[in-house]
Amino acid sequence: MSDSHDSPTIPDLIKKFHFVGGVLVLGTIITFVIDIMFALPLALSAVIGLLIALVKASFVVAIFMHYKWDKKLIWITWTMVLTFLFFAGMMGLIMWAYGDAPNLARNEMHPIWVVLAALLGVALPASFTVFTVKMLSQPAPVEAAAPKAKRAAKKKG
Amino acid sequence: MEIPYTVKPRPDTGLYNAKLGIWLFLASEVMLFGALFSSYVLLRVGAEPGTWSMGLMDLYVGAGNTMVLIASSMFVVLAWAELKQGNLAGYKKWKWATIACAVLFLCVKWGYEWPSKFKHYDVWLNNATVLHEKFEKGYHEVASHGDVEKHVEDIYTERFFKEPSEASHAAFDDAWENGTLALSGHINAYEEARIDVRITGWKADAGVSEDEADKALAKQGAKDAAELRQNGGSLSEKTDYDSAKRAEYALGQAGFTVALSVVGYERVEAHPWVWRTKRVTEDIGGKPRVKSIVFGLDHSHHHEITLAAGDIKRLSSYEPKHSTFFGIYYTITGLHAAHVFGGILIMLYNMLPIGLGLWHRDREQFTNRIETFGLFWHFVDLVWIFLFPILYIL
Repeated sequence: MSDSHDSPTIPDLIKKFHFVGGVLVLGTIITFVIDIMFALPLALSAVIGLLIALVKASFVVAIFMHYKWDKKLIWITWTMVLTFLFFAGMMGLIMWAYGDAPNLARNEMHPIWVVLAALLGVALPASFTVFTVKMLSQPAPVEAAAPKAKRAAKKKG
Repeated sequence: MEIPYTVKPRPDTGLYNAKLGIWLFLASEVMLFGALFSSYVLLRVGAEPGTWSMGLMDLYVGAGNTMVLIASSMFVVLAWAELKQGNLAGYKKWKWATIACAVLFLCVKWGYEWPSKFKHYDVWLNNATVLHEKFEKGYHEVASHGDVEKHVEDIYTERFFKEPSEASHAAFDDAWENGTLALSGHINAYEEARIDVRITGWKADAGVSEDEADKALAKQGAKDAAELRQNGGSLSEKTDYDSAKRAEYALGQAGFTVALSVVGYERVEAHPWVWRTKRVTEDIGGKPRVKSIVFGLDHSHHHEITLAAGDIKRLSSYEPKHSTFFGIYYTITGLHAAHVFGGILIMLYNMLPIGLGLWHRDREQFTNRIETFGLFWHFVDLVWIFLFPILYIL
């Protein structure tokens, strides 16, 4: 955190932490209530459950893990991009396995599973990648860190 | 040797080294858990209808544990914020709260969730007719005012499909007709063999001296060892299987020939941890070790049924070998719990004088250390955020 320009002050941060805590609790309650109150089809509850999880995860990464203020640090970002590409590859393999003709022809195999696999396999990693690349393309990602580093070096000298 | 850039960012990366290190570590963790998650999806989607026991997950416990982990994630970041403000007492307060949450999480997981599954059994029978009979007996209170088959189907549907559908109905009909349904519940007791142990002979040329042989006999509880060795006779009566087998082995080593014979069966209240199919099918001189098990069916108000050993095809508690579902369930939650456990150790280190020493030497470096730990802890929370809907909802 000390290595970012635009990070808020600690009391501001603590307020943000409380807000994120609230979001996480709310997300869990919503997931829970949906499951016990409504008899949703499996596919729909999968989509809703994973979407809520995705929102919760984004808040944790952005605020709790300070990614919101560290994102200009290109090394972290590229590490994460490569990781998600790996994840996309894993999910892609699964889609490949389930796109096989014999599987699709199976009577008990509902087409919704193929849609779900596609959603997991493409949409999830793709959205991560798109967001990350968008963050990467923000102005002057490297320069933001470099001048500070120079100052640090000067101080050291 | 001084490690460079523990506080100041390295010019080329813009990060202090530990932070880059922990992000790289987290990247490798994403790959590890990513592989397991994708395996889960593969297995889930590929599972035959009626084999994925997702209805067995207790949503209330899962949601409660999620809340506990969210709270701990919140506390760990607050602990770091206190350090940023130079407040060590505040750090300790939040850190202890984090540790308490983590311990509570593991207590629920390892003290309640897992053990209650290990005590729960599925029993598959050889014969569909016997299976239907057992259900009739087990659900006799249902049989008096309703349809047992319907009752069993409701339980089956909730466990494997959550909601009734054409697919669930077809899968149930198939399992009911072919008798591939499992009886689910608890082993309340079993009838185990009582065994007489007799010494039938002793080989003097086995390389064991008479003294040693007598000592071995005395160790197994023989009163007149020399007499028993020379003339044979009964060593012990109505003993349990484990002692009998132990005696047979130990005396065999001392050159004796030992005969075990089943003389009767005795009801033993079940110890829930030790049950395996092997124990039911073992035999002693042609007689089964376990004659029958007394089984309490789920949702039957503790009415017991008795299952003869000969009828049992397979018996398994809800342990990893039970099914693919439990295999991947224990793998993923186990790996996650191991991360929580490791986190507790690191947190304790940072709370003890040995870890806190760094605070007194270099406050900023200590603060950074806590921040990097926080990143790891949030990642563990992140994994659970995805695990919760996948395991408990889907």
